[in-house]
Amino acid sequence: MITTSNLSKAYNNVQVLNIEALEIPKGQSFGLVGNNGAGKTTYFSLLLDLIQPTSGHIESNGVLVSQSEDWKPFTSAFIDESFLIGYLTAEEYFYFIGDLRNQNKSDVDALLAQFEDFFHGEILNQKKYLRDLSKGNQKKAGIVAALIGNPEVIILDEPFANLDPTTQIRLKGIIKDLAASKGVTVLVSSHDLLHVTDVCERIVVLEKGEVVKDLETNEATLKELEAHFSGEVIA
Amino acid sequence: MIKQFIGLEWKQFKRSSYFQKGLAIKILMFLGVLYFGGIAVFLGGIAYFALKKMLPEQDPITVVNNFLIFWFMADLLLRFFMQQLPVMNVKPYMVIPVNRPTIIHYLLGRTSIHFFNFLSLLMFLPFSVVLIVQDYPVINVICWFIAMLSITLVLNFTNFLINKSNSVFYSLLTVLASFVALKMYNIFDVTIYFGQAFNALYNMPYLVLLPIALLVVIYKLNFNYVKSDFYLDGAISQKIKEADGLELNFLNRFGKTSTFLKNDIKLIMRNARPKQVMMMSFMFLFYGLVFYTQQTYKDMPAVLAFASIFITGGFLLSFGQLVPSWDSEYYKMLMSQNIPYRQYLESKWYLMVFAVFVSFILATPYLYFGVDIYLMILAGAFFNIGVNSFITLLGGALNRVPVELNTKAKAFSNTNGFNPTQLLIGLPKMLLPMLLFYVPYKLINFNAGLLVLGLSGVLGFVFKNAIFNLIERLYQKGKYKTIAAFSEKK
Repeated sequence: MITTSNLSKAYNNVQVLNIEALEIPKGQSFGLVGNNGAGKTTYFSLLLDLIQPTSGHIESNGVLVSQSEDWKPFTSAFIDESFLIGYLTAEEYFYFIGDLRNQNKSDVDALLAQFEDFFHGEILNQKKYLRDLSKGNQKKAGIVAALIGNPEVIILDEPFANLDPTTQIRLKGIIKDLAASKGVTVLVSSHDLLHVTDVCERIVVLEKGEVVKDLETNEATLKELEAHFSGEVIA
Repeated sequence: MIKQFIGLEWKQFKRSSYFQKGLAIKILMFLGVLYFGGIAVFLGGIAYFALKKMLPEQDPITVVNNFLIFWFMADLLLRFFMQQLPVMNVKPYMVIPVNRPTIIHYLLGRTSIHFFNFLSLLMFLPFSVVLIVQDYPVINVICWFIAMLSITLVLNFTNFLINKSNSVFYSLLTVLASFVALKMYNIFDVTIYFGQAFNALYNMPYLVLLPIALLVVIYKLNFNYVKSDFYLDGAISQKIKEADGLELNFLNRFGKTSTFLKNDIKLIMRNARPKQVMMMSFMFLFYGLVFYTQQTYKDMPAVLAFASIFITGGFLLSFGQLVPSWDSEYYKMLMSQNIPYRQYLESKWYLMVFAVFVSFILATPYLYFGVDIYLMILAGAFFNIGVNSFITLLGGALNRVPVELNTKAKAFSNTNGFNPTQLLIGLPKMLLPMLLFYVPYKLINFNAGLLVLGLSGVLGFVFKNAIFNLIERLYQKGKYKTIAAFSEKK
């Protein structure tokens, strides 16, 4: 589904990302971990054509993302709060995104109905603009908005941060379900090793912009990751 | 502690985004400050002589005193809009070991260093100096001057007490409007009573104690108010408005574009900054009054053409020049969404065209100045729709300054979304119509000028698609730069 080749990004000759080859098959739940500055968000931004690669390219479903815009209809993302429109209410925002993705009001409503649990009564009918919601609630709205319009690729940057425990558990269920039963390719980054091993079939560790580990998730993965990251702290 | 606060304040000032800009902007801003400061000083200085000439039988100080009430009311109204207790500044100090009173004194004290207060100072000081030079009694003048400053500060602090309630604002507005109306229709001249009060302040210098006492009281009130409720959800909270249920379904007829159109209207209605721009553009409607009433400009039709552009183009010029900055806060999202740039831009264009149309209707009273003027406004409207709207959008492709939507622009820090490119792009918007009118006017006649001006607009309208293709390409090309600039932290 997503093929990365010889991709690099440098700012003022300082390399922040350098991935020789990375292949993410369709329907995989893919986890990206790494310390601050490892290049996770940079990689996601390149995937969304928000920044230009210094060299190399990413191909998504046969579309070169830096050349054509044809990847947009089947891709959606929530990177940070700047993906929200602060002066809209949550509903207005969902309908707006729905409009952009050719979903009418009832399509959106049907989707939202599935996430009533996830919203926990704090998102819909609040008479509040998104900018006045708490960080966690903003995140909930942003994540669900990324699910509108049956995307085939969903990119979530640190979706677990700021969420309350109940919502974290529910989000894990949602992500697993997307990949397993709907064949959606989900890309997630996280600082929480436990969550990411729970959710992702495959975990890639980035360090200073390079892939240092590429693991198929199993029982030993969490231990291995913990060892890797604690080792770094000592060294 | 206060010393450290002042140190921090200085750093904030020096390192604020508007000083981090290029030299050109700094110079422009400096000139701007000089200009406005100069106007104030000039008005204050010349007021005495002007009044003396216009109303020779009255003492200028009396005339000024009679009108002071309007000055102060307007002052309060403006403050209500533009000035808020700078609460964000104190948040970091709430949890460190500093006495609350110290923080509150600092919080309140620093509000006295505000543009509005300086404006008053700049107006009253030169006027008072002129009075003294003109052999008015020194004690009286100085006490009067101190009284004026005290009242200014009283307003400064009153504003914070009433700032969170809209009803106060509207009642204030009503009172002011009725004062003006009553005076205009000679029913009841309220200025006399206030005038007497202000005159008394001048004639009996010891009365200066009154406004000073008032200042102390209102400061104390503010202090107590903040102190009694010094919590994030209390006195130093910021207003959170309840969401309005705006549906705007009637816009659906615009098809795909309506998605953005609806959004843009919400943007304007729900954010402080665009609301301000909206009001500004309303003021442009009155631009004609400045030019059409002056004999000097009667024989300079090119200047009149210039004015006509402004009458219908206020919104277009002031809102349009900040496309796409208005969407800077969520531009990344828009760019990763499944949208053609075209629709996004077209929505902005419709909005501007609509505004020109509304302005034109509102400009109907200009018929009073004759059909020629009115036709000129019409030609100007055509030009605005067919040419200026496109130039504005073109300029937007080069505009990479993020705008904070819900932060009101402060006077003089309004460089948020202002750069030299804008200025350069702005020139043809004003010079082109003058030229288009003036050349055929000189060569043929007045009507030919109007025709050419109007037709240029029609021409632009005809080639709308081609022009939009060009604009779209330009935006597409600058995409990465724009995204990077918009996501820069301020």
